[in-house]
Amino acid sequence: MSRNEPDFQGYRRADGSVGVRNHMLVLSVGGLTIPTARRIAASIKGAAIVGFPYNAGSLLGDDRATWRRAMFALALHPNVGAVLLIGDNPPLTAEVAAHVKRAGRPHAALTLDDCGHDAVTLTERGMRASARLAMQISSDRRAPAPLSALTLGLECGRSDPSSGLVSNPLLGRMADRMVDAGGRAIIGETVEWLGAEHLLEKRAATPEIATAIHEAVRRREETAIRNGLDLTGNNPGPTNIAAGLSSIEEKALGNIAKSGSRPIQGVLAYGEAAPRPGCWVMDAPAYASESLTGFAAAHAQLMLFTTGVGNSFVSALSPTLKVSANPETCARVGEQLDLDASRVFLGTEAPEAAADRLWRRLIEVADGAATWGEVLGEGDEVVARFGPAM
Amino acid sequence: MDAIRLSPDDNVATLLRAAKRGERLEIGGGAGVEAADDIPLCHKIALVALQPGDRIRKYGETIGEATAAIQPGAHVHIHNLRSLRARAR
Repeated sequence: MSRNEPDFQGYRRADGSVGVRNHMLVLSVGGLTIPTARRIAASIKGAAIVGFPYNAGSLLGDDRATWRRAMFALALHPNVGAVLLIGDNPPLTAEVAAHVKRAGRPHAALTLDDCGHDAVTLTERGMRASARLAMQISSDRRAPAPLSALTLGLECGRSDPSSGLVSNPLLGRMADRMVDAGGRAIIGETVEWLGAEHLLEKRAATPEIATAIHEAVRRREETAIRNGLDLTGNNPGPTNIAAGLSSIEEKALGNIAKSGSRPIQGVLAYGEAAPRPGCWVMDAPAYASESLTGFAAAHAQLMLFTTGVGNSFVSALSPTLKVSANPETCARVGEQLDLDASRVFLGTEAPEAAADRLWRRLIEVADGAATWGEVLGEGDEVVARFGPAM
Repeated sequence: MDAIRLSPDDNVATLLRAAKRGERLEIGGGAGVEAADDIPLCHKIALVALQPGDRIRKYGETIGEATAAIQPGAHVHIHNLRSLRARAR
């Protein structure tokens, strides 16, 4: 079948969003119930788990706002068909449950307090509730949906110079195609704009957005200076340096190629959803686990993730397609790469041909084909922390 | 082609294969150069002589400054290149 139609088969949610997966999610609202959440998820075939290891009620300032935003957002991720909320903070658990209920998403909520503070009772009740939800959503069917319903998260990790030469420009072509189809594309990793921010600023849709990009970079750079941090050895990290990246400027100039060429519509806070279609930048940490969760909280349904030497980590909620152009890497970790772009690196495949292959695979994955990260179960979600806590 | 120069005013190229010292390398987008060091895949090679403080250019942009005299064909990496960013002023 030819795939010229600009659509995919997705799960239409009551709140208007469209998922590319139909996860039964076990979400631990606090840290004390994460082991129970793991037990429950392990007992329900295919269930996903997300754990919030701190008490979001005790966090302060930016962390409090970020954690609440991420928790409410991940509970209602478009790829989640139903969610079991478990926690050790009854008011907070009830608040998240009310939010999920308003959106019309199937759910159940249980706390340690409801179960006599007994994790074994919570496990039993949680298993029964999850099993009922999983059975309920097993009747959900995919339906045609427009690409404009999609948000694409663009990540790179354990990069090498092949990332900047081939893989990241390839993701840039994906970002442009998604934006041209009416969807959203997001890059993050603010520290990896240092030395390339002038190129992002030139693409800002308004002068105010250019200033916001400049300020986000200035804040990151001042944080490094204030903490006496030499970026060489930190970012680029030891693995990047061994692979041939010598400075943050070199890494950043390769990194920003992931964002493609379309106008930048704004600077998103960590985990903040893009309010309109187009290409966006997220002011966020660079480490892949935190960065991907920022995109997931922004309701990215799909992630594209380039690597130089190999990076197994993926989002737990959003299928993450791995791409490398390093011939040695493609030969070594073939079962972790969804696209081998090494022939572009070697000059025997045109970049546009590789872009066509990656785009086709992206739509296949949106339609339900598995990524290597899903097959191998390499997914997790990690919400970033920024400051002190009570 | 053994290495690629990404912009006409770049003074380094990126190796598309590992090189041994003394090998003559064909540079895409520039004149050839003889490798002065063993250089791994994806690492950078100097295309011209550089002095300490000279800006090192790749992608047509500055990626740092030279911290030592660098001969044409030498490996360019953290032993002779320093970032200009996030440095205390």
